[in-house]
Amino acid sequence: MNWVMVNLWVKGAFERRRYMNLVVQRACHPQLRDYIHSAVFGLLPFIQKGMVERAAVIFFNTDGIPVERFVFKLAVNQSYGSKVEDANLEFSLRSFLIKLSVSESLTKVLPRDYRWEITAYFRSLPEASANKDVEQWIPTDTRQWEQPPLLTPIKSMSSEPLCVQLYIEHPSLSEPKP
Amino acid sequence: MSMESTRSANSAKRSFNNNSNSASSNSNSNPSNKKKKTSQKTLGVAWGSNSRSSSRSSFSNSPFSNFGSYMVEKNRKLQNQFEAEASTSSHGGSGSVKPIFDGVSIFVDGFTVPSSQELRGYMLKHGGRFENYFSRRRVTHIICSNLPDSKIKNLRSFSRGLPVVKPTWILESVTANKLLSWVPYQLDQLANNQPKLSAFFTLKRSSVSNGASTHAPCQVNPEAEDSSLKVGTSGDTYFSEVSEPFEHSKQISGESDDLVDENSNASLVEEPANSSGKPCEVAMAVPSNIDTEDESSVKNYLQSNHYQPSALVSSNCINNQNMKGSPSSTVSEPSNQSHSTLGDPNFVENYFKNSRLHFIGTWRNRYRKRFRTLSDGFNCTSSNIKASALKTAIMHVDMDCFFVSVVIRNHLELRDKPVAVCHSDNRKGTAEISSANYPARDYGIKAGMFVRDAKALCPHLVIFPYNFEAYEEVADQFYSVLHKHGNKVQAVSCDEAFLDVTDSEGDPQLLASKIRREIFETTGCTASAGIAGNMLMARLATRTAKPDGQCYIPPERVDDYLSQLPIKALPGVGYVLEEKLKKQNVWTCGQLCMISKDSLQKDFGLKTGEMLWNYSRGVDNRLVGLIQESKSVGAEVNWGVRFKDVKDAQNFLSNLCKEVSLRLQGCGVEGRTFTLKIKKRRKDAEEPTKYMGHGDCENLSHSTTVPVATDDVEVLQRITKQLFGSFHLDVKEIRGVGLQVSRLESTENSKQGLERNSLKSWLTSASARTEELCKNNYVAKESSNQGCEGEGDETLGQLCGNSVGLSIQMDSNTSNGAACLNEVSVPPPICHLDMGVLKSLPPELFSELNEIYGGKLVDFVAKNKGKTENMNHTLRAYSHEKIEGAMKEGQAALLPSMVFQNEIPVENKAKQHIAKEVPAVSGAESFVPASGLTKTDLIPSSLSQVDTAVLQQLPEELKVDILEHLPAHRMQVFSPNVLLYPTEIPLEALGTKTAENNSGSKDFVLDNNLWFGTPPHWVEKFKVSNCLILNILAEMYYKSGSTGNLSPILQCISSVSIHQLDAFQDGWDEAMYILCELLKQYIKLKIELDIEEIYVCFRLLRRFAMKSEFFIQMYNIVYPYLQALVGENYGGNLHMSLKD
Repeated sequence: MNWVMVNLWVKGAFERRRYMNLVVQRACHPQLRDYIHSAVFGLLPFIQKGMVERAAVIFFNTDGIPVERFVFKLAVNQSYGSKVEDANLEFSLRSFLIKLSVSESLTKVLPRDYRWEITAYFRSLPEASANKDVEQWIPTDTRQWEQPPLLTPIKSMSSEPLCVQLYIEHPSLSEPKP
Repeated sequence: MSMESTRSANSAKRSFNNNSNSASSNSNSNPSNKKKKTSQKTLGVAWGSNSRSSSRSSFSNSPFSNFGSYMVEKNRKLQNQFEAEASTSSHGGSGSVKPIFDGVSIFVDGFTVPSSQELRGYMLKHGGRFENYFSRRRVTHIICSNLPDSKIKNLRSFSRGLPVVKPTWILESVTANKLLSWVPYQLDQLANNQPKLSAFFTLKRSSVSNGASTHAPCQVNPEAEDSSLKVGTSGDTYFSEVSEPFEHSKQISGESDDLVDENSNASLVEEPANSSGKPCEVAMAVPSNIDTEDESSVKNYLQSNHYQPSALVSSNCINNQNMKGSPSSTVSEPSNQSHSTLGDPNFVENYFKNSRLHFIGTWRNRYRKRFRTLSDGFNCTSSNIKASALKTAIMHVDMDCFFVSVVIRNHLELRDKPVAVCHSDNRKGTAEISSANYPARDYGIKAGMFVRDAKALCPHLVIFPYNFEAYEEVADQFYSVLHKHGNKVQAVSCDEAFLDVTDSEGDPQLLASKIRREIFETTGCTASAGIAGNMLMARLATRTAKPDGQCYIPPERVDDYLSQLPIKALPGVGYVLEEKLKKQNVWTCGQLCMISKDSLQKDFGLKTGEMLWNYSRGVDNRLVGLIQESKSVGAEVNWGVRFKDVKDAQNFLSNLCKEVSLRLQGCGVEGRTFTLKIKKRRKDAEEPTKYMGHGDCENLSHSTTVPVATDDVEVLQRITKQLFGSFHLDVKEIRGVGLQVSRLESTENSKQGLERNSLKSWLTSASARTEELCKNNYVAKESSNQGCEGEGDETLGQLCGNSVGLSIQMDSNTSNGAACLNEVSVPPPICHLDMGVLKSLPPELFSELNEIYGGKLVDFVAKNKGKTENMNHTLRAYSHEKIEGAMKEGQAALLPSMVFQNEIPVENKAKQHIAKEVPAVSGAESFVPASGLTKTDLIPSSLSQVDTAVLQQLPEELKVDILEHLPAHRMQVFSPNVLLYPTEIPLEALGTKTAENNSGSKDFVLDNNLWFGTPPHWVEKFKVSNCLILNILAEMYYKSGSTGNLSPILQCISSVSIHQLDAFQDGWDEAMYILCELLKQYIKLKIELDIEEIYVCFRLLRRFAMKSEFFIQMYNIVYPYLQALVGENYGGNLHMSLKD
């Protein structure tokens, strides 16, 4: 089941910032920043509960056909709870994010007017009444590929409390061209 | 008194200096500020002019003329920002307390923990500065955790001479609330890789500084000394002056002892010595086992105290004065002088005259000269190493606390009293106990202990000085007795020796008691003996036997004995190694056994790893009588070294050269490389606790190599002088000097002895170097013998693996060997040739060899054939009967053809079976008897002995039966060992059978998870395999760092040329099958959580596939499987574009 927050495309640049001792790109536009922030933080409770299987950043063209999907596959070990030592995680996450920042060569040239969205794939449907955060998420209307996509793994990180894998999905070569 | 005043003046001056320094730095900073202002002004002007003149400039729209001026402005703004923030966040404000980082300005380079922002915060808070951009002018320290190689290589251009410090420096300075010295926090990459003395002292440092502060005058010492040295002649008065205040304290504390110097020192610092160091180190080839007794006790001492290792040698402080026989030494000044290089013109000479280690070191020469004929005699006989395959008996004889018992051998009344030997018996002294007898040890007295501590433990301890004449006498008597009873004697030290008593008739235990009795009768001292199958175990047995006893460890008890033995008991395991092992939670040899050889070699280096592996299993391949040639000769003085001026130092050096020259001549060698080692007092080091010791020092060394070896004093002096000059040192800072000569060459032309020794060590170390082929054969055999001997409990399967490994090696060496053959005038005796190797020789080579041996080789092989047949009977009797009699005949007929490596006529399947199995058994043949394994069982010891093809033909129930009888843990070897056989079997013919085998071995592969365990199962399995590619994989596993991931292994392989991997024909299918299985299991293992790893692996594999037929096949087999699994897990296909 897919739940999508909002999708919008702001033609604004991201700027290089340093955050948590890392080089990151941050959206300049405050609203965009808010969107990303609220999307990610909105996911947090579900991730913690282990409900989110994958989270994807999907780039799609004006027809709503995805061009490129960055997929984060998550596996959270529930038994850890709050006992996680951040020092251990920090380094693996760091290596993860560094790899992300150099993965540009794997990406495709995107069409001119493309849009993107953050999509989360849930293992089970969250109960709307349980959490009002859920209401922020709406079902997506982004179209799916007809053929299984091609995966290009970027980074896999596995620590005991948390495993994250990032890979890019591209449409299969046999995918009918729009 | 005068000292006091000068000191205060000094300190006053110092503080004044400090003030002026800070003042100047302040005043410095002011102009720099002004400068900035002025530069700003000029900036404005420049801008104005620029804007007027050029509109082309890209900066024309901006208020900056160029990038540089922009940066200036930006930096200024940043600085202002920083200052503004600092004024709000700094809690000290402009209060009276000077902030910690006053005057410190850091630049953070790259990733650090904590982050640069946090560091900036600290600087803000504590009055430092933080620069966003590097500038030589403003930055005082560069902070970083890691530097790229390029910056390390070109450090000066990176750091511009500024200190490069780890961020912990800032953290710890904040914690300590004062600015700490940055030196210990220097970036590890920059620090010298060689261990420094300081590392050993860091533990003690804090306690010492405590001690020092309670005895304030003590801190004066270095300075005071310096100043007195400057005065030059006032050295005499200096000591009395300094010691005055201490005498006061001494009187106050009611101690009425005689010696001034040592007492004063003793009362200086209460703390037990941080610095005693090693006063004398005989650089001659004194093996680590000089004196077991002492060593073990010192080790105990080390353990209990966590003392620095240098204490090992420190038990041998030499004090001239007492040896000279001035027991009460009423005159303090002169004796003082004689302790150091300051006053004693013959210091070097006296120093070594009274050094115990020097005695031991030089004693070896004396021994060698005295017993040369004897030892030479047995050297010849012992070169027949074949004997070692038999049951050997080695005896280790060691005198009980030699240095004590010799001295008191004529004092019967002291036998049960605590006695120790030390050069000085001043009860308050810092002289160290050199050796203590057993009653004394009961009081806890150990070698290396200060006399005053020993006396505190046991007030009635009797202390004797050394008696070197007596030691020599007793040592000679000791060896006379030993040589009487066996001609294979290897001297270890003056009081310790190994005997090879294999050939002696009678029970070795009886012999031991006889020898011990005779030693006691002739010398009046007791000795202990240990008997076992090799030198290691014999020596450990002696450990149990002590004191005055003997112990026999039969081979079957070795494992029991070792399982609980603490690792430090093993020779070669010192303090450092022990600590490292303990970190891995290894305390006993039993635990050490659990670690694989490869991981030991990875952690501790090739040699040490192998040693640990062998020793923990009670394996010791050394031969008695193998005298190690010394690698270097030298002399080192680390005690009492104090120079007034350069002339002093030069004088000392020339004396040292004389000593070294004498030693070289004594050993009959000349050297080419000269190394001068200097101990230089650290800047902040206090006067050492150990009287006249070297204290906290930096170790410096320079060396030079001359084209012609020499032992000439004058040449030595000239070279040493040059070396010394290259240090550019203040001679007053020198605390120790050592000269070492290496690259030794024998003076006489008696090089035969040397050669023989080196050859033998070459044989025993089982290293198969490429030399003449024949010799190589010999070596191969010997080494495998040794291997068998040691690994008695290893299964024969392994041995076969070994043999195969060797023959593979032989193959690669053949071209080399053939070339060498022409030069060999006398080939080794035919009996030394190894059948296994001969058989695997290519026919041309074999015929060539045969020619050299005048055709005898064929006979030899034929003779061996008979033996082989026997072996077949015994080894394979079980399955034997299942094979038709006709085959047995065929076997004999086939064998010669196998030997000559002719093509095997593939007439029928049955014959092929035999062809395959014969070499398998004959391969094992040469090892089985040699190994001394008395395997008379009818069943082969492992599956590797069983021919798979034969097994396949057996009825089902019989197969099960056989498998049950064989050790289960060798089961995996099953399938790879099908490949054990020579290449001549055509592949097509094999094809049908491998298919069968596959069906059989599949069960194993599928049942066992190849990736389970560390190292994963497949590694062991591949290692013993006969297939080159599998071997390479297993080898690469270790090379790649044993991570358990496949991609590093493949990466390592990619460095090997891939196409040569195709060079094998035999077992292609089998290797293919097992590798595909390996990959599939790996995919299964990783697919869920680490798709990246799989992706990397397959990209590498695809790259291999472009060059290798084998990998193409493999890739094509596994690829669909991979995609299927990826689809299952990720709903897509892995993108393996063919572009990159």
